[in-house]
Amino acid sequence: MTNARGTRLLAVTGTATALLLAVSVFGIFLVAPEDADQGIIQRIFYFHVAIALTSFIAFLVAAIYGIVYLRTRKPEYDRIGVASVGLGLFFSILVLITGSIWAKASWGTWWVWEDPRLATFVIVLLLYGAYFLLRSSADGERQARYSAIFAIAAFASVPLSFYSVRVAQSFVHPVVFTPSGANMPSTMLVWFVVAQVAMLGLFWTLLQMELVQRRTDAALKRLKAQLEVQ
Amino acid sequence: MATSQTPPRLEIAVAEPELAAVPRVGWRGPLAALVRKDVQLELRTKQTAIGMVLFALVAMVIFQFAIGSRTDDATPFAAGIIWATVALTAVLAVSRAWAAEREGRTIDGLLAAPVGRGVLLTAKAVSIFLYLLALEIVVVPLAVLFFVESAAATDLAIVFGLCLLANLALAIVGSLVASLAAFTRGRELLVPALFLPAIVPVLIAAAGGTFSVLGGTDDMAELRGYSLLLAGCAVVFGLVAYATYEFVFDD
Repeated sequence: MTNARGTRLLAVTGTATALLLAVSVFGIFLVAPEDADQGIIQRIFYFHVAIALTSFIAFLVAAIYGIVYLRTRKPEYDRIGVASVGLGLFFSILVLITGSIWAKASWGTWWVWEDPRLATFVIVLLLYGAYFLLRSSADGERQARYSAIFAIAAFASVPLSFYSVRVAQSFVHPVVFTPSGANMPSTMLVWFVVAQVAMLGLFWTLLQMELVQRRTDAALKRLKAQLEVQ
Repeated sequence: MATSQTPPRLEIAVAEPELAAVPRVGWRGPLAALVRKDVQLELRTKQTAIGMVLFALVAMVIFQFAIGSRTDDATPFAAGIIWATVALTAVLAVSRAWAAEREGRTIDGLLAAPVGRGVLLTAKAVSIFLYLLALEIVVVPLAVLFFVESAAATDLAIVFGLCLLANLALAIVGSLVASLAAFTRGRELLVPALFLPAIVPVLIAAAGGTFSVLGGTDDMAELRGYSLLLAGCAVVFGLVAYATYEFVFDD
């Protein structure tokens, strides 16, 4: 009883994402110019920043669908919310790994608390990790409702965490995007945009995969319940 | 003898409730009554307040042996120690926020009362605020005594001003978390896991502001910045609580 349209869409987005990822890897490592100061390690930033933005978008999607769920109470929106938080966490872990690799190459240490973005992602990781604890502690409709409330509250606290960490610490991290625009030449910016689109495609594909699996699971449960009644 | 007659139907006339006849209940009266109830219960038992103060003292002693004993002057760490202690102890206040209702099995009665859900959440926020204030009245002077080499009375007054601002944000988040955890399993695990990561921005701002006063730098611009951040946290968390409170008790 899986949604055939959703599976077809998944095949299309999956293929497009795989192609985009391949193009971005090719462009970042073979076409984009090398940074004069940092050398090859700078190339990790194309992925690092794109992954970080994608994880924020995943949490934003969870918060939006949290609001939609509270208004409509449709289980589908809860499924999108929980899948988005899971993917947001996955991308957050990737942010910490890529950031850590960059810290080791730049400063010779795997972890630097002075970097506001890495510190923010640790807080985000802890915050959204608690989302699943909350989810496993509640039952039935309450589980979806509480998850929606927490997704909204957690997303509201993310900018606060980021701003507070940034205010409290020195700016040792190179600021790639400033209010006046992107602080990089256009040849780098093109590949950054390609990497960003590829990461968003990856998020979209993984979200669809998760939703297909969750819908199938829900359909199976319904079928089991029907069989038990008969 | 078996009978094929169907039993007579019991007709019960249910009067439609006359909504117009129900007196309108404002929010001030129920809010004051709910807060008074929590304060009176605490004054009678003193269980939570004493537990919190003892826990805070133990936490400060632990911080002393973990950090303070490694340095000649713990002044730079005092702000951090104060707010780490307050944060950890606040978990107790949040965990115990609905304890009296749960243990006395009055939670359903309270939810059935003609009191707005927002009033229930606000009452719990006020109670948590008062618990934190009582805690800080003990902890802040003691921490200054233990860890700060020299501090003026005006410094203490400014730190208490910061405490009031921080308590506002902590109480709002605490009330929301306590209300979510009240109806879940394993709430003793859930409260710290939900509450502590959510209040990190408040702690960063409160510790930063306190350090700018007690750390010896007397940086007023920094203090102003951190105070604004604390106020911002209170506003953001207040808006989130306002937007979601009716869904917390939506059973």
